[in-house]
Amino acid sequence: MSTADGKVNGRSAHARAILGPELYARLSGTKVLLVGAGGIGCELLKNIVLTGFGHITLLDLDTIDLSNLNRQFLFRKKDVKQSKAMVAARTAAAFNPNVKIAPIHGNIKEPQFDIAWFRNFDIVLNALDNLDARRHVNKMCMAANVPLVESGTAGYLGQVQPIIKDRAECFDCIPKPTPKTFPVCTIRSTPSQPIHCIVWAKSYLMPQLFGEDENAGGELDEAEKQGENAQEIATLRKEALAFKAVRAALRTPHEDGSSSAARIVFQKVFHSDILSLLSMADMWRSRAPPTPLDFDAIKAGTFAVERKGQAEAATNGNGSSSRHANGAKSNGSDSQASGSASTEKMLNGVASSTGSHSSAGLKDQRALSLQDNLELFVSRQVLCEDTISFDKDDDDTLDFVTAASNLRSIAYGIPGKSRWEVKEMAGNIIPAIATTNAIIAGLIVLQAFHLLRKSYNALRNVHVQFKPTMPLSAIGMSQPNPNCGVCRDTYTEILCDPARVTLGEVVHSILGDGGEAGGTGKRDVSVYEDKRVLSDPDWDDNNERTLESLNVTRGKFLSIVDDEGEYATIQVGIGVLPPNHLIDSPALILPSPLPSPPKKAKAVAPRPVTPQPTAVKRSAPDDDDDVEPAAKRVKTNGAMSSGLITTPSKKRKLEEDGLILLEDATEKLDDDVIVIE
Amino acid sequence: MSTDESQDIDSATTAVQQPDNKTRRYDRQLRLWAASGQNALESARILVLSASATSNAVLKNLVLPGIGHFTLLDPATVSAADAGNNFFLAGPASVGKPRAAEAVPLLRELNESVQGDAVIKHVDDLLADDDGRAYIRGFSLVIAHNLPTSSLDSLSRLLWEDIGDPPLIVVRSAGFLADFFIQFHEQCISQPHTDETPPSLRITRPFPALLEWARELDLDNMDPTDHGHIPFVVILVRIVDDWRREHGGALPATSTEKQAFKAAVRALRRKPDEENFDEAEAQAWRVWAEPAVPSDIAALFTLPPLSGADAPLSETTPNTAFHALLRALAAFVRSERGPGALPLSGALPDMRTDTTSYVRLQTIYKDRARVEKALFGALLAEECPDVAPHVDPEELDTFVKNAHHVRVLRGRRWGAWAADRAAVASSLEMVPRETATHLALNALSTLLNEGPDGSKVSAEALTEEVQKVVGEGVALPSETEDAIGELARAPTAELPNTAAFVGGLVAQEAIKMITRQYVPVDGYCVVDLVDSWTGLVGR
Repeated sequence: MSTADGKVNGRSAHARAILGPELYARLSGTKVLLVGAGGIGCELLKNIVLTGFGHITLLDLDTIDLSNLNRQFLFRKKDVKQSKAMVAARTAAAFNPNVKIAPIHGNIKEPQFDIAWFRNFDIVLNALDNLDARRHVNKMCMAANVPLVESGTAGYLGQVQPIIKDRAECFDCIPKPTPKTFPVCTIRSTPSQPIHCIVWAKSYLMPQLFGEDENAGGELDEAEKQGENAQEIATLRKEALAFKAVRAALRTPHEDGSSSAARIVFQKVFHSDILSLLSMADMWRSRAPPTPLDFDAIKAGTFAVERKGQAEAATNGNGSSSRHANGAKSNGSDSQASGSASTEKMLNGVASSTGSHSSAGLKDQRALSLQDNLELFVSRQVLCEDTISFDKDDDDTLDFVTAASNLRSIAYGIPGKSRWEVKEMAGNIIPAIATTNAIIAGLIVLQAFHLLRKSYNALRNVHVQFKPTMPLSAIGMSQPNPNCGVCRDTYTEILCDPARVTLGEVVHSILGDGGEAGGTGKRDVSVYEDKRVLSDPDWDDNNERTLESLNVTRGKFLSIVDDEGEYATIQVGIGVLPPNHLIDSPALILPSPLPSPPKKAKAVAPRPVTPQPTAVKRSAPDDDDDVEPAAKRVKTNGAMSSGLITTPSKKRKLEEDGLILLEDATEKLDDDVIVIE
Repeated sequence: MSTDESQDIDSATTAVQQPDNKTRRYDRQLRLWAASGQNALESARILVLSASATSNAVLKNLVLPGIGHFTLLDPATVSAADAGNNFFLAGPASVGKPRAAEAVPLLRELNESVQGDAVIKHVDDLLADDDGRAYIRGFSLVIAHNLPTSSLDSLSRLLWEDIGDPPLIVVRSAGFLADFFIQFHEQCISQPHTDETPPSLRITRPFPALLEWARELDLDNMDPTDHGHIPFVVILVRIVDDWRREHGGALPATSTEKQAFKAAVRALRRKPDEENFDEAEAQAWRVWAEPAVPSDIAALFTLPPLSGADAPLSETTPNTAFHALLRALAAFVRSERGPGALPLSGALPDMRTDTTSYVRLQTIYKDRARVEKALFGALLAEECPDVAPHVDPEELDTFVKNAHHVRVLRGRRWGAWAADRAAVASSLEMVPRETATHLALNALSTLLNEGPDGSKVSAEALTEEVQKVVGEGVALPSETEDAIGELARAPTAELPNTAAFVGGLVAQEAIKMITRQYVPVDGYCVVDLVDSWTGLVGR
């Protein structure tokens, strides 16, 4: 690798001519954080390496899958199952020896990536595929006041959004659609669409059989609270107990291999459970009852479903009619045909390869017969020792969900789905191609130039769209949404030892006395960590507790919400004490000056202030019964692990809506999801 | 769990076959263009002229999704600047070696199922003799980046000679500016993937099973739950049937009548929460605004193939099968055995109803679509007996399903527009920045003709060239100066991000052309990445 002057100049000649000597000179010293080494990330890494950004930190938690290779061009077949960040850095680094790439195989939400860490960077580039991480990086960039370029693609569509605090909208200024959810009872007892059965198989049955053995009763408790049918809930509770026995059977070796365990599972979920649901006559008064399936009869080919009362209406749990969609949203005409293999065809047990006349190309677009599904169900029961969770790119789990959801559909007289469609529906698959990612990655760097040059007037929100007459649409920047619960907050940072400072101490110190040191002075406030209430004006039990015991640790935020709604919310980021900090010095270093949040334009005085910094558009919980603060649990539970504390908050998210979430908050969507408003 | 061996065992022992590695690799794109699109890509043979960073970016985006074969043609050797901005070179180690030969192995590494080769030649050498010209015409698509005007002109004329010649994509870029144009004779698109006009549900031309269902409804004595679940389609068919009986067979036409029709829908609603009746009212436009044949489809019935109106369809007609299918479609609409409308697509929109009714509705629509497809097939055999046996059943199926959306585009030769002074002058007024940028790029190509190293390029020379093209005396808009300034600053510089962006955009259009799915850009697409805009001129 020669770095002789002539060659260095030669290789950068183009870039210098275009960028101008001033910006070009700065690039080599520029520190970039690139979050994501997937579809957009690979393209972007190539672009910024070629452009000559000097210091690149590349972070991704994922490993390489075969289905990435149609666009993530820094990876080869031999790299499958390796870290994306590591392989991408290795492939790209070879190209420009003057660029330093530091890959990190990890999650951007880990505590060490705190405000101080984000402040190391001149610019952050998001190449993420899920809403949760996008919002997190957005918030960290607001807290650290680092410019961010946000991006996403979906098939032929894409979007780039430059973000800089106080000058433009942040990612959360415009509410994002929340994942689709379904009532518990629709999923558990009265499905009426294929998606209900798929959600059941993926989010209920799989975790019940192969997930961690946890008490699943919480969801039912809450459903009961939400006023769902009590008798139904009681039945579902019984069902949950019976699962314990089935789980045990799955984990005991059987002489005749897996099929006997599979038979036990089958008989429970497709026979006994359905029988017990049928015993609730009320439930089936206005909808078609399901038919229990018979393992042995299906095997013998003698099983037939008699659906009585075909004319009777089926409705979902709310009693209202449901919206029926014609199969998965598929763009390929091929998959449309196979999506609607009629129920009778399956019931006859005929392998209906003739049914999907146009699916010449792809084997897994074939409609599956009842026997196909049973066989598939049995053959996928070999996996029982460890805990297993759904992964759309893992054949075993996908097959299992395909078979289980189709069997349930048959029992309920719902059209089945091919494996191809189940994959798309269960995995939330977003089509992804190299071209759109290339276009978007080019645009990201151009917006990054504008941000680095501080030419804010040149910033554009750019959409790649469908119109043959105008592939790009570029819009000037909008001012931040004055009601944004993320970028309108006032950010500050404390450095502390969470084991040695109390909640009360921090809140008191941050508010200050309103004098020259800044701060609002002592006021009535409520304090939150994410969605957990830690204190409010009438409840100060936690004030003497240390931050650590409240699980408010490095990388997290304390939100101090003014009870009068007069001041903007203060977000206090928790950082660590400097390494040379003396052990007998105070365990808390405050910002100087103290934060002085702006007065709010419109005081929403009498209403409790929206306290949820991350869930911008959700309304505030208005009673304490709903928001059971974790601290109250501490008293009964004694010692508390961090796992315990995150679970209630996650569960609370479910509880808020009284719903099963299709996607839980931590689960990744597929690559390059775009959220289009 | 997903190694090749276990897959073989799986497929041997299970009724359900696992997708093969190819399907898994291409999963995310198959959901966009399906197996038919993938097959088209895999049979594409693409010639790319010049091994520039932009060309290689285009190729990368075509190799990844799996085209069949590419040839990279370039006479030049790698310079230090090339090594700095072209990812598909081995860095300094490539300097001094042929650009094409250095890039091809690195591009092929992206996808082992794609073939590729390098040809170290100047395109002018190929254009100079018959063998070379035949060679160029043998590809299924030609993409040219930053060729000087003289070569471009010969190339575009060569590929315009015969209606069977492959499409040519002309790409030019310098600094932050670029444009591209697709020269093609005819593009027939059976899957434009647009949702502009939803296919007809035949509410005013109901087929027997649908009409029967609508007539047998005992609306007055129906169970209340069932009443709230009648699909809106059936409700509308019923009301149309009643209406016709009362109006001598006529449909609502005046706005008073339309309001009366909607009132009739509302009158049947028993409870305010019957959302199926809301839907029926919202969809009532289908009763009066759904022609038997949409006008743009009817226009295709009289569109002669490029081979001429009188010439019989034959193997040599471009898009033979598509034109045969169009003829069958016209015959279908005329046929007394048919519905007097386009064939039923068989697809249903989402609607408020219960599972049983939805499945029933789906079944009758699918059954009817099957019947009409069979008639369509028979008419195809009658109308075009020579071509019919060669029409792929899957192509027929796709065509019938998309009969409401099929399109035929006719292109123009590259450069023809800029010679039309009146058109250019009016375009300069209508879209000054797009037109000025395009003309400036034209001027640059011309000046590079005289000095490929950019030595002849200056703001003055560019302005003079532009003025020559639009005609003396025509005032140039101020945008011309901006574009010319940008080009004069760095006439031969390829910025990696522009290359990446244009590479994505051009490959996107190439894929549309190859798969014959989605609607390609029509005209000269102009790109300005200083201000992040794209626009079209010369449509």
